[in-house]
Formats: sequence, C-alpha cells, structure tokens
Amino acid sequence: MSGRATRERPPAEHATGEQPPAAQHRRGELVLAVTIGALGVYVLLTAGSIVVPGSTNTLGPRAFPYLVGALLAAIGVVLTVLVLRGGAGQAEEGEDVDPAVRTDWRTVVLLLAALVVHVFVINVIGWPPAAALLFASAAVVLGARPWWRAALIGLVLGLTIQAVFGGALGLSLPAGPLLEGVPFLRG
Amino acid sequence: MDDFQALMDGFATVMHPVFLLYALFGVFIGTAVGVLPGIGPAMTIALLLPLTYSLEPTAAIIVFAGIYYGGMYGGSTTSILLNTPGESASIVTALEGNKMARAGRGAAALATAAIGSFVAGTLATVALTFVAPFVARMAVQLGEPDYFALMVVAFITVGALLGSSVPRGLASLALGLFLGLVGTDTLTGQQRFTFGVPNLADGIDVVVVAVGLFAVGEALYVGSRMRHGPPEIIPVEKGWRSWMKRDDWRRSWKPWLRGAAVGFPVGTIPAGGADVATFLSYAAERRLAGKERRGQFGRGAIEGVAGPEAANNAAASGVLVPLLTLGLPTTATAAIILVAFQSYAIQPGPLLMVNEPALVWALVASLYVGNVMLLVLNLPLVGMWVRVLQIPRHYLYAGILLFGALGSFALNFSPVDVLLLVLVGLAGFMMRRYGYPVAPMVVGMILGPMAEDRLRRSLAISQGDLSYLVTSPFAVLAYAAIVVVLVLGVWLRRRERALEVSPAGVR
Repeated sequence: MSGRATRERPPAEHATGEQPPAAQHRRGELVLAVTIGALGVYVLLTAGSIVVPGSTNTLGPRAFPYLVGALLAAIGVVLTVLVLRGGAGQAEEGEDVDPAVRTDWRTVVLLLAALVVHVFVINVIGWPPAAALLFASAAVVLGARPWWRAALIGLVLGLTIQAVFGGALGLSLPAGPLLEGVPFLRG
Repeated sequence: MDDFQALMDGFATVMHPVFLLYALFGVFIGTAVGVLPGIGPAMTIALLLPLTYSLEPTAAIIVFAGIYYGGMYGGSTTSILLNTPGESASIVTALEGNKMARAGRGAAALATAAIGSFVAGTLATVALTFVAPFVARMAVQLGEPDYFALMVVAFITVGALLGSSVPRGLASLALGLFLGLVGTDTLTGQQRFTFGVPNLADGIDVVVVAVGLFAVGEALYVGSRMRHGPPEIIPVEKGWRSWMKRDDWRRSWKPWLRGAAVGFPVGTIPAGGADVATFLSYAAERRLAGKERRGQFGRGAIEGVAGPEAANNAAASGVLVPLLTLGLPTTATAAIILVAFQSYAIQPGPLLMVNEPALVWALVASLYVGNVMLLVLNLPLVGMWVRVLQIPRHYLYAGILLFGALGSFALNFSPVDVLLLVLVGLAGFMMRRYGYPVAPMVVGMILGPMAEDRLRRSLAISQGDLSYLVTSPFAVLAYAAIVVVLVLGVWLRRRERALEVSPAGVR
C-alpha cells in the first residue's frame, strides 16, 4: 500500500474530461457493450423454453422476455458500434472521485475480496465479528492508518449495530459462537 | 372540502409526539445522508427498508418522507461547501453557490438555499395537496391500456433522460427490465430465468439491486480513483447576522417563487426529475437578471442558488403526484418509495386515497412539518453538517459497504443475498466507469413487471387485438407525448451540457 503515497498524480485534465489510458478504457467499454448484447441473445434463445400452460389464450409468459431480449440485443449492437466508432462514455463524476487518477484495480479487487470473505464468514463467526472484519479491511484497503484503529472502530460499530438491531429491534442477526449468551445482543 | 378535513386529520396524526420524533429522525438521517457524498436518499431508504419492518406503516412512511426531503436539503450544503466538482445533479448549485462560498459569502448561499427550499417545498406541498386528489379522481377512469401507455412513457423518458447518453440510459433500463423478469411469472406461475436457483424463484429483491448499484457500486468506483488527502471544505463565517443581508432577501424571493413554479410541474411529468428543474430555473434566472447582474452569473450570483434550490425541492414534491395517484415512479428514489409502500402491502394508485386516506394525508402533513424541521435543522446546525463532511473518506466508504451488506443480509438472513449484492455492485462499478446511469435500471426493474401485467391484462380483455392498446384517446395522447418529451428533453440535455462545459457560454 506504500505505492499509493508515493505515486505521482498526472496533471489534472479537467478541461477535456478525458480518461488517461484511452485504449485500455475503450477495450473495457467494448466488453461491457458486447456483454449486454450477448445477454440479449441469451434471453431471446432461452425465452422459447419457458413453459406456456395450455390455459393461456393471448399473451403468455414468453412475450415480454422476447421484447426485453430484443431490446438488450439491439442496444448491445448500437453501443458496440458506438464504441468502435470512438464514442466513449463519460465516466461518472463525484465529490470524492479524482478524474485525473488512473484506475486502481488493486483497490477494487481487494474491496471485492473483503465483501466475499464477509459473505462466507457471517454464519461461521457470527455477524458482529464478520462486520468488524469487513469494515476494518475495507478501511485499510482505502487508506486508513493505523490498521488497529480501523479494527477498533469496526468492532465497536459491529457490536453497536448488533445491540441496536439485534437486541433492541429484534432483527435475528447471528451473534456467533464467541458472543453466544450475551443477553443484550440477542433479540 | 373533504380533502381539507382529511388533511387536518393527517396533521392530528403527525402532531402526535411519537410521530413527530419519527419525522425528526427521518429528516435528520436524510440531511446527514444528503450531506455525505456517495450515498443518496434512494439508497438510504432501500437500506432502512428491511430494518423498519417492525414499525407500523404510517411511522415508516413518515420516516421515508423525511429522508426524501432531508436529502434534498443536505445536498445543497455539500455542493456549496465542498471544494471539488460535484455530480451533475447538483452542478447548478455548485456553479454559483461554490463561487459565493469562495468569496466569503458561504453563509448567505446556505441560507438562501435553505429558506428557498423551505418556501418552495411548502408551496409545492400545498400544490400537491390540491392536485393529487384531483388527479386521483381522473385516474380512476383510466383503463389497462392507458396505464400501459403511461408506463411506456415513463420507460422511455427515464431511460433516455436520466444520464448523459441516450443508448447507455436505455441499456441500463433494459438490464433493469431483465432483472425484473427473474422469478416466478405472476399470471401463470412459471419460473423464468431462475437458473434453477431456489433463492431466485421469488425474484431478485429490489433492495439488493438498489443497494448494490448505489452503495457497493459507488464505493468500488470511488475506491478505484479516490481523491486522496482530507476533503477541502470552504470555511463559513459564524453568526446569524452573516446569513442574508437585506439586499440578499430582495434578490432571492422572486427566484424562490419562480423556482417553485418551474419545479413542481416538471416534477410531476416523467422528464428526468429534479435535475431538469434546477437547470430550467437557472437558465430562467440568468435570462431575467438585469444587465448589471448577468455579469455576476458564473461568479457567485445569489439568484443562481436561490432559484435552482427552490426548483429542486418543488420538483421533489411534484414527483409524489404521479407516484401516489398513478403508482408511477419517475425517479430512482420514487421507485424505492413505491417498493416501501408495497412492502407494507399498500399499492399506490388512484385508489390509494380512497383506501388509505389516513396514511396519505399523514404523509402530506408530514411533508409540511418536515419542511419546518429542516429549516430549523439546517440553518443553525450548519457547523455540525460541516463536521459530517469532514469524515475521513476511508471510514465513510467502509461504513457504506458495511451498511449495504447489513441491509441485504437482513432481508432473509441469508448470505446468498449478500453475494448477489456483491455481483450487482460489480455491475454498478462497471456502469459508472463507462458512463451508464444506474437509476433507469432500478426504475426498469420495478416498473417492468407492472407494465407486463398491464399489457397482458389489456390483451386478455381485447382477446389479443393489439389495436386495443391505442383505442382510448388518453393512450394515444400519451404515445404522442413521448415524442414531445423526448425532443424537448434531449434539447435541454444539450443545453445543460453546454452549461457545464462553459458557464459563461450559454445565453
């Protein structure tokens, strides 16, 4: 993570609003457009296998899927042509988004990993520790230092939410083996 | 006058101390959410949805209304005080308000935004009080093909007008329509696109999609290109004396009224929501300003804050008209509120005011009350909201991810929903990256199944005759309106983009 602090920012290009790595960006956008078109083709192909009960006399359960599939396929083609002809999409802007930085794929992958780990540990270690783990790892990946402060905040947050929503409001969040039997944490 | 009596009953409900507390909770959370970058009212309501199942419907709806209104107020604080270019929804306020703040007039900008929001919000709520029962009475006479026509209008305008690129908006809408197909067909009970996964037989939950797109997608996107270092906030002078001078009042009151007059009607038609209203108001104020004032536009003209902020809030009330009387959501937030109603087994539509008058009028009364609370909450407490703005971004986005995961998990207490959330979040990230607006996807997912239902029932009535769809004059009018709204909308978008590129260049 030390690379983040030392990395030099390219000069701001607010005036043009262009993303720096244009060719790579184009390829990613092409993949998205083709995926949308492919989804449309898939919907069109599989809509025919939806079972139509004999009682349906007019519009059955297949008609709307055909419509949606056609729409997806058509837009996929339009977008693919558009991207190939150079019509790049305008990336969304935001208060915390720096338009001049390169995409940090490592952060994206690590955040996704933190979420996936969270999914698989909820039922094993209970919700509060899983929540603390998700918060702490996401904060550290995004640049929180020192790591133990993020972990501490995550733990407090997880236990508070468990006490408020699980204990007070009766939401059945699993407390987990470590906190089993703590009265104010279980609804 | 029956409506007036009903409204008074609504006030009697809302004035109950417990409901006042719920309203306060709603506007407080709403303002905080509006102030924080990265989360909006749509996502907050989606998140709170599974957590409020223990509340009674009236209380929950009052909380949601507070969040909806509060979010509009809070957003202006961010665009005025945060020293970074904001998203296009608040670009108009940022244009003049940010310049005012830099010139040391931040307090005046915040005050004219808050008071203007109050004035316009209250006027628009009065308009809602009178217009909604009228529209509902008309809407009772609409048939199935008419509703289908209305939904087609909403699809096309939402898909084409939310976001900067028409094909990308329509792609987002189509993806939403596809997600709406997943699950069991309501009319025949057949499973569609469930891939044999039992969890998908009930369909994909809207909460998962909304939270995934708005919260997880946003967090991933911000993470991919984060602005490092602490957020730069423009300091505001203290003390109420600096809020607005006599001259500021004189220059503000007309834009407030004009903003309300522009915002409410624009909000009621499916034309892209508050975004378009703020831009229209800004253009109007610029044109109406005298010769010596016009030079101030682009350098911190108070009219350019007062008008658009008023229009913004008036449009927010306007959006409620089609939502409550026709069951037709025209923005992502309205779509989520519709889902909130449905989760309490309440179906917005022409019969809502007949079946649930107490709830509807309590909601309207809570809008009046919420407006007053927001005025009180925003003006003196601005120092606190500034502190909220200073939350370190790594903690903020980690918290957004955590609450997103909690909201999805709390739906069924099944980790499968959280996994689905991650997948939708990844899609939301890709869409943001390549300029696909995410709001049409949410609207499409909610409106899609409703439209399919209407279409199939229409054709069941006509025994398959497609021309039945265009036999009623209302439906014909609606299809004709698509062309008008599209041409007008695309033209407005062009102008808006020209405005974003060079504020001084638009005449």
